[in-house]
Amino acid sequence: LSPTEQLPPEKPTIIKCRSPEKETFTCWWKPASNGGLLTNHTLLYSKEGEEKVYECPDYKTAGPNSCYFDKKHTSFWTIYNITVRATNEMGSNVSDPHYVDVTYIVQPDPPVNITLELKKSMKRKPYLVLTWSPPPLADVRSGWLTLEYELQLKPEEGEEWETIFVGQQTQYKMFSLNPGKRYIVQIHCKPDHHGLWSDWSPEMYIEIPTDFRVKDMVVWIVVGVLSSLICLIMSWIMIMKGYRMMAFILPPVPGPKIKGIDTHLLETGKSEELLSALGCHGFPPTSDCEELLIEYLEVEDSEDQQLMPSHDTPSKNTKIILKETDSDSGRGSCDSPSLLPVKCRESRGLPSTLQTQDVRAKEKKGGKGSWETQCTASEQKMLPCNSESTKSCTWLAAQLPGNQAAMFAYHSTVEAFRITLNTTNVNTSPVLVGNEENRQSLYPIAETVYDDMEKISEMEYSKPDQTTMQVRQNQQNDKSPFLNPKLMDYVEVHKVRQDEEPTLLLKHKENSGKTKKSTVPGTSKEYTKVSTVVDHHILVLLPDQRTQNTPVSQEPVAETSQNPQESQAEKSTGYSTTDPSDSRGDTSGSDYMDPSSFMPSFK
Amino acid sequence: MSTKGTSLKGLLLVTLLVSHMLLTKEGVTSLPICPNGSVNCQLSLEELFDRAVKLSHYIHFLSSEMFNEFDERYAQGRGFIAKAVNSCHTASLTTPEDKEQAQQIHHEDLLNIILGVLRSWNDPLIHLASEVQRIKEAPETILWKAVEIEEQNKRLLEGMEKIVGRVQSGEVENDIYTPWDGLPSLQLADEDSRLFAFYNLLHCLRRDSHKIDNYLKVLKCRLIHDNNC
Repeated sequence: LSPTEQLPPEKPTIIKCRSPEKETFTCWWKPASNGGLLTNHTLLYSKEGEEKVYECPDYKTAGPNSCYFDKKHTSFWTIYNITVRATNEMGSNVSDPHYVDVTYIVQPDPPVNITLELKKSMKRKPYLVLTWSPPPLADVRSGWLTLEYELQLKPEEGEEWETIFVGQQTQYKMFSLNPGKRYIVQIHCKPDHHGLWSDWSPEMYIEIPTDFRVKDMVVWIVVGVLSSLICLIMSWIMIMKGYRMMAFILPPVPGPKIKGIDTHLLETGKSEELLSALGCHGFPPTSDCEELLIEYLEVEDSEDQQLMPSHDTPSKNTKIILKETDSDSGRGSCDSPSLLPVKCRESRGLPSTLQTQDVRAKEKKGGKGSWETQCTASEQKMLPCNSESTKSCTWLAAQLPGNQAAMFAYHSTVEAFRITLNTTNVNTSPVLVGNEENRQSLYPIAETVYDDMEKISEMEYSKPDQTTMQVRQNQQNDKSPFLNPKLMDYVEVHKVRQDEEPTLLLKHKENSGKTKKSTVPGTSKEYTKVSTVVDHHILVLLPDQRTQNTPVSQEPVAETSQNPQESQAEKSTGYSTTDPSDSRGDTSGSDYMDPSSFMPSFK
Repeated sequence: MSTKGTSLKGLLLVTLLVSHMLLTKEGVTSLPICPNGSVNCQLSLEELFDRAVKLSHYIHFLSSEMFNEFDERYAQGRGFIAKAVNSCHTASLTTPEDKEQAQQIHHEDLLNIILGVLRSWNDPLIHLASEVQRIKEAPETILWKAVEIEEQNKRLLEGMEKIVGRVQSGEVENDIYTPWDGLPSLQLADEDSRLFAFYNLLHCLRRDSHKIDNYLKVLKCRLIHDNNC
């Protein structure tokens, strides 16, 4: 017979002991192989400080293989020594002792009565309030058991739980939930000092209402609209005033400013004003050049009066044609008689020339610089003086200061005397003198001439005849034109072209016919005609720039003293010669000389 | 004019005093205004119990931690737990063992018991703090915990005495006390014996601190919250 071998049971093992409320506890064991026989288990325990061994009071309440210790059998702050004995027919076996202090094995049930409440804070932001209750068995009210709670939260779709330790309070406020989302929450608890965490409460679903989302949307829409409006306005302003802004931010570099000059003037082209700003008066010559042209020379009988050119109205001074046949003697500018007749240029641009020179004279009265300027200018142009230039020369001379004018006049008057006197020495001179005295002058030599002549007469004329003759002769010897081309001033009435013989009228045929012509070589005379003859000894010349009747103008004066008739004849011829063959500039002073002015003077 | 000046001065003085009182208020909680060292100032019973519970809770926490650390470091595999059964010097004191006993005992008795236990532990804690340093390679955490527990225990004792004086009517019976004679065991030459002595002492400390904490919480809920914590 081989009955199955029967062995005593093996040692059972105590799994765990637990107390749900810190008032009772339960222990569970695990039976071992029973050896094929019915095994009986008994639990025995003893308490600390006692020798007595007790058996489990309750094997059933807690289920199989368990031992339930009720309140009476539960003591705290006491160590239990618990063992389980398995017994079968063959024997028994006892488990290892299990020492347990109930104080440390408390594991409560999960919290109950979990509720959610939506509340609104003062800032109108809603929040969620989660409340729960301790497990029913736990006596928290008496303070015997103190529980601590813990939450577990996650979005419905999330995977990780967020654990939140709450402490001993039974409520929790949730502020950080997103509207419109579903959340899952769980709670468990544990005794305050020792013990184990309870199981999680059943899952609680939270759904956040989404009503307050709309308000946020409205706010954002308003903000967006306002900001876009602001941007539009800003951009529009920038476009409109962008230029100004740029100018404000980056101001343009100012241009140079010269005091007295108006750049606007430069742009408009009014050079006159500009030049006036520069301090340059009278340049370029204005259109009213006629004023600059010497119309005539007023002659007065009274000796006292000095026929000084009127400084204020230089334009009215008679213009004496000056010859300018400067062969470039190389003399100083100021000494050169041709200085004055800067005017002695070519015929072209007569009026302007005149004007220019006049302007210069105007500007620089009594200034040597002016002299030089003029001289320089005149020297440059060796051409015979035109009537115009002569006029201008004359005029300039007239403008010059007395001394200088005297100098020029000296030359010119000397020559003039030569010319005028011709052969008649005494007569002429007295005539001239007389003229001087009487301040009468038919010649455009006019005032200055007279002045000079006076001076000359004073200076030189011991024997006016001789002097003049000498002068004249000197001139003759020079073979220079009677009217030295350098003689710039108005004294030289005759202007003869270089290629032509001088046709000074001043010369008397008696004295020298040649001299007439020889002395006045190359000098062009501007006067062309004789307007009238007065008193048979006075020839009134019409200043004509175009002509070269230098001798014509002078001749009458000389001849008048003696042979007026002859002179007339010659004059006439002279005049004829001095027809306006030379066509200088158109303009020039046709009004060079007003004969009418002379007429009464001689009478 | 003088009266006006004096009245103004008085008003100013009152203002200053009131502001001083308000400014020196401690914290924002419901703690009463009672600076340390004041004699006449009286804390409410609730406040006293709150402070006592906090202290007891803290002390037990430290004790539990210290025991676990010691057990983990020195007592593994030595079977100390078996030998530590019923070896606490305060075991002679009759203390509630379960909830019913705790709820049935009179609060004054319970307070006295608490006081007795606290006094009984005064001496052992001092020696524990000094002797634990002699343990070979004792962790720093155990050392400072021992010192901390000893300090806090004194404070709890003072607070309990205040509570007892407040609650107790009549003469205070202060005969609950158990002397401790375990110092020699802490100084044993045998390391194993000495370590068991420390283990046992720390085990008992953990238990008694838990008792005190539990008792105070029960008393607080009973006396302050009327069993409705």
